[in-house]
Amino acid sequence: MGIEMSGLTVQLLDIAAGALLLTAVLVVWRRELSVILRVFALQGVALAGLVAVLASAQRSVELGLVALGLLVLRGVVLPLLVRRSLAGAGPVRRETTPMLNVAASLLAAAALTLLALAVSVPLVALDPSPATRAVPVAVAVVLIGLMVMVTRRHAVSQVVGFLLMDNGITAVAFLTTAGIGLLVEAGIALDVLLVAGVLHVLTGRIRETFGDTDLSALRELHD
Amino acid sequence: MNPLGVAGGVLQAVVIVGGAPLVVGLMRQIRARLEGRAGAGVAQPWRDLRKQLRKQPASPRGTSEIYRSAPVLLVATTLVVAVVAPFVTTASALPAVADLFVVVALLALGTVMIALAGIDTGTAFGGMGASREVTILALVEPTVLVAIFALSVRAGSTNLSAIVGSVLDDPARLVSPASLLAAVALVVVIVAETGRLPVDNPATHLELTMVHEAMVLEYAGPDLALVELGSAMRLSVYLGLLANLFVPWGVATGPGVAALAVGVAAFAVKVTLLAAALALAEVFLAKLRLFRVPELLAGSFLLALLSVTTAYVLV
Amino acid sequence: MNPVEFGLAAAVAVGLAGTVAALLVPRPARPGVTGACVAVAGALGLTAGIAAVTGVTWSVHLPAVLPLAGVDLAVDGLSGVFLAVAGAVAVAAGIYGIGYARHGLDGRAVQAAFPMFVLSLLLVPAAGGVGTFGLCWELMALSSLILVLAEHRRRPAVASAGLWYAVMTHLGFVAILVGLLVAAGPADGGSFAAIRAAAPGLPPAVAGLAFMACLVGFGSKAGIVPLHAWLPRAHPEAPSHVSALMSAAMVNLGVYGVVRVGIDLLGGGPRWWWLLTLAVGAVSAVYGILQAVVAGDLKRLLGHSTTENMGLVLVGVGACGLFTVDGEAVLAALALTAALLHVIGHAAFKTLLFLSAGSVLHATGTRDLDALGGLRARMPATTAAFGLGALAASALPPGTAFVSEWLLLQSLVHGLPAAGVVASIVLPLGVAAVALTAGLAVATFVKAFGVGFLARPRGSGAAGARESPPTMLAGMALAAAACVGLAIAPMLVLPALAQVAGTLTRTGPPVSGAVTIELDGVAGAMSPVLLAAALVAGCVVVVVLVRVSAARPARRETRLWDCGGGPLTERMQYTATSFAEPLQRVFDNVLQPVQDIEVTHHRESQYLVEAVAYRRRVPDRIERRLYEPVLAAVAAWGRAGRRLATGSVHLYLGFGFAVLCGAFVMLVVTR
Repeated sequence: MGIEMSGLTVQLLDIAAGALLLTAVLVVWRRELSVILRVFALQGVALAGLVAVLASAQRSVELGLVALGLLVLRGVVLPLLVRRSLAGAGPVRRETTPMLNVAASLLAAAALTLLALAVSVPLVALDPSPATRAVPVAVAVVLIGLMVMVTRRHAVSQVVGFLLMDNGITAVAFLTTAGIGLLVEAGIALDVLLVAGVLHVLTGRIRETFGDTDLSALRELHD
Repeated sequence: MNPLGVAGGVLQAVVIVGGAPLVVGLMRQIRARLEGRAGAGVAQPWRDLRKQLRKQPASPRGTSEIYRSAPVLLVATTLVVAVVAPFVTTASALPAVADLFVVVALLALGTVMIALAGIDTGTAFGGMGASREVTILALVEPTVLVAIFALSVRAGSTNLSAIVGSVLDDPARLVSPASLLAAVALVVVIVAETGRLPVDNPATHLELTMVHEAMVLEYAGPDLALVELGSAMRLSVYLGLLANLFVPWGVATGPGVAALAVGVAAFAVKVTLLAAALALAEVFLAKLRLFRVPELLAGSFLLALLSVTTAYVLV
Repeated sequence: MNPVEFGLAAAVAVGLAGTVAALLVPRPARPGVTGACVAVAGALGLTAGIAAVTGVTWSVHLPAVLPLAGVDLAVDGLSGVFLAVAGAVAVAAGIYGIGYARHGLDGRAVQAAFPMFVLSLLLVPAAGGVGTFGLCWELMALSSLILVLAEHRRRPAVASAGLWYAVMTHLGFVAILVGLLVAAGPADGGSFAAIRAAAPGLPPAVAGLAFMACLVGFGSKAGIVPLHAWLPRAHPEAPSHVSALMSAAMVNLGVYGVVRVGIDLLGGGPRWWWLLTLAVGAVSAVYGILQAVVAGDLKRLLGHSTTENMGLVLVGVGACGLFTVDGEAVLAALALTAALLHVIGHAAFKTLLFLSAGSVLHATGTRDLDALGGLRARMPATTAAFGLGALAASALPPGTAFVSEWLLLQSLVHGLPAAGVVASIVLPLGVAAVALTAGLAVATFVKAFGVGFLARPRGSGAAGARESPPTMLAGMALAAAACVGLAIAPMLVLPALAQVAGTLTRTGPPVSGAVTIELDGVAGAMSPVLLAAALVAGCVVVVVLVRVSAARPARRETRLWDCGGGPLTERMQYTATSFAEPLQRVFDNVLQPVQDIEVTHHRESQYLVEAVAYRRRVPDRIERRLYEPVLAAVAAWGRAGRRLATGSVHLYLGFGFAVLCGAFVMLVVTR
């Protein structure tokens, strides 16, 4: 995108990107759902920080506002929403037996990061800049989010997986274009809010029906 | 082999041998205070060592020279590392041994000797401790080597002095994600290798949870003194490596008594702070089940691998 | 006279004399004569190899010896390395075999095959053409098969192992022949020089086919996953000095073939060849050592460790090819040097380990680690030998494998700054695989040495063990000396290896120095001598300090701590199975062990347990998934074919008649 960045800005950007990835890894690593939610909130903060760094590099007030909005939405509102659905989600507070054990899913996360790195090479090559160089990290967060959705049993961790993926997509968008308008971002935010709401209702319904939020129990509907 | 390196090497060995028990004492004292106990004082490990050294050496029936030589080798390997690695000065007494791969392998050799000694006693405890220790050692290895890889990318070499020197030259690199990830990975490694919580509890003697203590259960007298000294030195050496790989300031780069004195002081402060932080963290941690440890190590391996790739990507 | 020519010719003469002598000499003197001949032939091969490594080349074409193709022999530096390794292993194995053969291994066929096997091991790397190579390779396969089957009257498992070995080695041979013939297609004749000259003109698809076929064939000889099934079967069942020859000299020739064809004859090739080589190498290393760590049979454990080490060597070879493609000639040479040094180091410590394992088997009658232990007091020399070999094999300083793995890691680490995206993913994973392998190797050899030799005997065989005869100990001592030499002073061989690797990758030697190994072109230095000296100095300092500060120096013997419950019995010790249990549980998903716990209750009450039986088996998963369907398919074909053979002569004649008519019809139609 051709914006000159000072050394400090580049480092802050790198740290924000690193934090984004680290929080995604921690979500995979930990089992207690409350810890996972706290980590997810941290990731929202990291994402907001990333956008804030971009805003300061481009001296764009609009982007700064977006960063503020992200901080409120991803760092506070969404985690709170999910936490409320966790509070009503029944007695299970831990992801006890994921489909893929934790050690294996950590190794899978490593493999996904490498895959993201390989895949986003042409993207980075299009416009090599400090911002686009962090794109592989964001793509990795998307993939890890998807993996969490695929391998976790608890409905709440699946919601977190979805939101993780969404954080990754947002990061990719900002890192590659830096210019999606306020309106678009607001639209996305509303969208996500809606999805979170729907999932919240859904987990409630699932729990009411089955007394549990272990999604693998849904398979019994089929039989 | 230059005079600064030799002087620094001797100094480092003296500081680490003298200070390592104090570091352990400090950690115990911090823990005691946080748990509301008075504690035995920082110098208690030294008093224990003196008492042990005065006793008559003893070997259990049926043990071989492996059992007798393991404590010596444990201390000797750590001593070699203490001499060659850049703790007080970047000039190494033996630059051709101050390679990070070599240092890590040397420390592993000490562990292996103690594990063999544990098996050599022929008790169930000895075998159990050895089996667990070796399992952890095997699983830690990928993390260590990949983290070393990440650190060496920056310096273009795996030589310890070169890595420390490159950080001194370009301190801004230190806050890069690659370096932070590698630091976190190495912290986990150090916790696992030195047998601290949550991997192993150094204060327990319960068969369900023992790892290191089970291996050395038969040792008594001067042999036990060596084992305890060796373990303490390993802790200090690992903390010192962590400190100087990531926060190398204060380490002497040129000759001069003043520079060496500053180096010693900086080293002591850094290791003390790290030890205090570790002790503080341990109060809030419970020991992991043995079969949860691989998860921890897989996580740290992931961090190390990410550190290498981000070192490549975000350059 | 050219020293290579002299050495090879004399080795052939002595080897043939040994074979003839084995057929003529009466039984009591037979092992001595053949053993001596093998040792002398090995020594001659070693000198020829050393001469070739130092730069003497020799080639000859003898049209009269073989009809059609004639015999081509060509010895260069690369051949020299493998020639010298095979020769050196043969010296130790020959001397050891004199004492070992007294136990029913002095039959005529076995004793005659032994020199032939060594001879073929010397001739394969010296072969300079497709025909000669194939002939020597087949000679090697047949003579080793006879040796593997030596004890078939005593144990039924030997026959099954021999069958696996025979089938796989011949399928591998077919693959190699296909590969070499495809490569030699456009060349003028079958000599390696002609193939090398014609290789640049080969279409990429054809070259790829040739390389793939050779990788499969040579990989099966090197015991690379998934073609390793024969190795853990044949190595334990063969007599121990033959195991040593197979594991330390024969499997190397698989690596030799890959390097010779891929890097030398076909001159590099595209990136995917070497990515594939590196990947199969890494997988073999990790899988091999994982199987070794849970193995309960001492020689089977060593066999799996051979797969691991060949995997590491192939990681080096793959990295070499990868760096060549990227134009990093110095790193390529470094990786190849590491691979060649590992070949030599592996040969030394694996010879030592197999010979000591044979000594244990000889003395205790068992290979089961769960029944061993306590050999330190009963067989001190063997224990020392195995301990040395275990140290060398576990990549700990000051050990043999440590130096080569350090070089390998250096080449991988320095590849990153220059690398493309693929390499930036492959190299960290390669380092991780090498690291995991090294860590598990430590666990494996702590288990093998600690449980097998230390503590107290777990079975009657181990309790009554006696030290082996001097000839066996002499063979072990030679291998031990080689291990120590390579560990402390690798610079004795490294410059020559670096020269060979540099020549193959068309650059200078990547390593220099006398006391310290200095890498040229990249930053890195390490000194095994200084490291060992520092360790010794450290030990002396510690011992002196303890002596000075201790009050009462005399050592006292005490009781083991038994919780006050009376003396501990041997049954209370940790066994090899229990030692490996945590690792087995960690890698449960990969290994998928089959466990079976049977609890017998007391007759009086359900709450009292009378006995608990625990059985565990770790079947080779790759084998089960890959081989069983193939074997089942072959068997199904066989059953289908049986329907054609009803026993009716008229039907058989009818088949011939139908084929003849069919052929005529084809002729009419196509012309």
